[in-house]
Amino acid sequence: MNRPLKKSKRRRSHISAKEERTAYLYLIPAFIGLIFITYLPLLGVFGISFFEWKGITSPKFNGIDNYVRLFTKDFFFVDSIKATVYFALIAVLGSMIYSLIIAMLLNRKIPARGFFRAIFYVPYVLPATAVYIGWSWLYETNFGLFNYLLARIGINKVQFLASSRLVVPSLAAISVWLSGNLIVIFLAGLQNVPRIYHEAAEIDGANAWQRFRNITIPCMTPIIFYNLLMSLVTNMQIVVPALSLTNGGPGNSSMFMTYLMYRYAFLNNQIGYACAISFIFFLIIAIFTAILFITSKSWIFYEGGD
Amino acid sequence: MKENRSNVFKSRKRKEKIASVISLIIIIIMAFVVLFPIWWILRTSLMTNAEIYKYPPLFFPSEFRISNYQKTLEVFEFWKYLFNTMTIIVPAVIGGTLTATLCGYAFARLRFRGKRFLFSLCVGSMLLPSMVTLIPLYIMWTKGLGLVDSYLPMILPYFTGGGAFNIFLIRQFIMTVPRELDEAATIDGAGRFRILTNIIVPAIRPAMIVVALLIFITLWNDLLQQTVYINSSDKFTIAIGLTNFRGALKADWSLTMAATCMSFAPGVLFYLIGQKYFVEGIVMTGMKN
Repeated sequence: MNRPLKKSKRRRSHISAKEERTAYLYLIPAFIGLIFITYLPLLGVFGISFFEWKGITSPKFNGIDNYVRLFTKDFFFVDSIKATVYFALIAVLGSMIYSLIIAMLLNRKIPARGFFRAIFYVPYVLPATAVYIGWSWLYETNFGLFNYLLARIGINKVQFLASSRLVVPSLAAISVWLSGNLIVIFLAGLQNVPRIYHEAAEIDGANAWQRFRNITIPCMTPIIFYNLLMSLVTNMQIVVPALSLTNGGPGNSSMFMTYLMYRYAFLNNQIGYACAISFIFFLIIAIFTAILFITSKSWIFYEGGD
Repeated sequence: MKENRSNVFKSRKRKEKIASVISLIIIIIMAFVVLFPIWWILRTSLMTNAEIYKYPPLFFPSEFRISNYQKTLEVFEFWKYLFNTMTIIVPAVIGGTLTATLCGYAFARLRFRGKRFLFSLCVGSMLLPSMVTLIPLYIMWTKGLGLVDSYLPMILPYFTGGGAFNIFLIRQFIMTVPRELDEAATIDGAGRFRILTNIIVPAIRPAMIVVALLIFITLWNDLLQQTVYINSSDKFTIAIGLTNFRGALKADWSLTMAATCMSFAPGVLFYLIGQKYFVEGIVMTGMKN
């Protein structure tokens, strides 16, 4: 009775050692990536941000001078935080609402659903640079499509990308257009909402809005959370339109944080200073993510009532 | 009583039908709205500049001027740019998909010490925006390893699992593959690697295709890294080439739009080929989190 048990135990521990070796072998790429591509560079950003480093000369320690300059003297920096947060706010809210509505419509019994889903996904696979350049023609002040359409309903010409008031919302609208992947994920979530809840509520006399408010939304909260997080991290890192189209202008109205960091590091050779911007950028995203995670406990509804 | 119930049922059916018809109408309108910008760009690329500036604008070109594309190709070296872009994308996609599968498999199936810790490190790095580490990585690649004006700084990171998100995604998929399959293969004498290649990989093919697509799109969109790492015009990618082309030909909208349309094409083609898998896989990424 005792012997086979012992034997099997020994065999399992033997397999484990081999298994462990295999696991570490397979994980070598991830090890290297986590160390050299992720965590060391993050430490690097933090470290370099305390130096004055012009690229050619050797770095010189200057304490928190970079941070002092950022918060007291650099107007670009304040503008860049405003532009980035403003852009992310419109882009995230816009794409969440847009994709939830489209997903709910697609969730109805309609013909050729797969075909329509594919259409809404198409913008997502286009290269961002081409998308922004293409849209800049639609936004063109004198001959662009949008101003023609506005003229048709009696609205005067609008300078979309050439006005400091409208450039960020105009670019954010493109980001909403690009959010096809959120639709696909929302749609999958909607298909998992148990139909029986809706039927029960309908028999109890709940109208469409009440059912949306009290059944669809609560069941969808985990998916909403996931999409919100992904969309936030993506949109905070916006840089392509500034790089390919606006150069941060007009004024500093589209001076996104990543673009400002790029300018300091690669056009002005102020590497230490650019790292300070990177680090603050990291902190801002970390704070937003933390807020999402902390508040999520109170608004995410898990089935089974956990 | 019975009649009443069937009436309620009927009226509900009718209401549902009306709602579906209205949804369909709105969806069709929205699909037009979403596709319209693409059509507008395409139609502009096929018109003369005189036609473009007509008021009211034409919704269809009077004739399809393919010659715009020939003219564009004289300045916009599309094929060279495409080749260069693919020189980055193809190895990165292959390396990323393979290493993400290896790592995802280890996290999903194998038991080893430090698994929890390593996995949380991995998931934690998912929330780290790649833009943050750009400068130290640039210093490491160019000053540390001397890779100036090279594609390698954009390719090599993908040989480390292609980013935590991809590893995580593959892991989640492997968790849904029944363990009994592995065990049956073990009894038949298959080793870990055989199990991975013969059982796991066929089962998670949609996930691997999604990972490939995500890497493709990331690199496709990554104008910043391309600008930073590439200096010589011989090595320009589509994104850089297009930005410069627009800068040089600011007023010539039809040629700029022709170049834009050419840049759209490879992504659309790639998507059409793998469309079934992409949607299936992306649907699952949402569900598994």
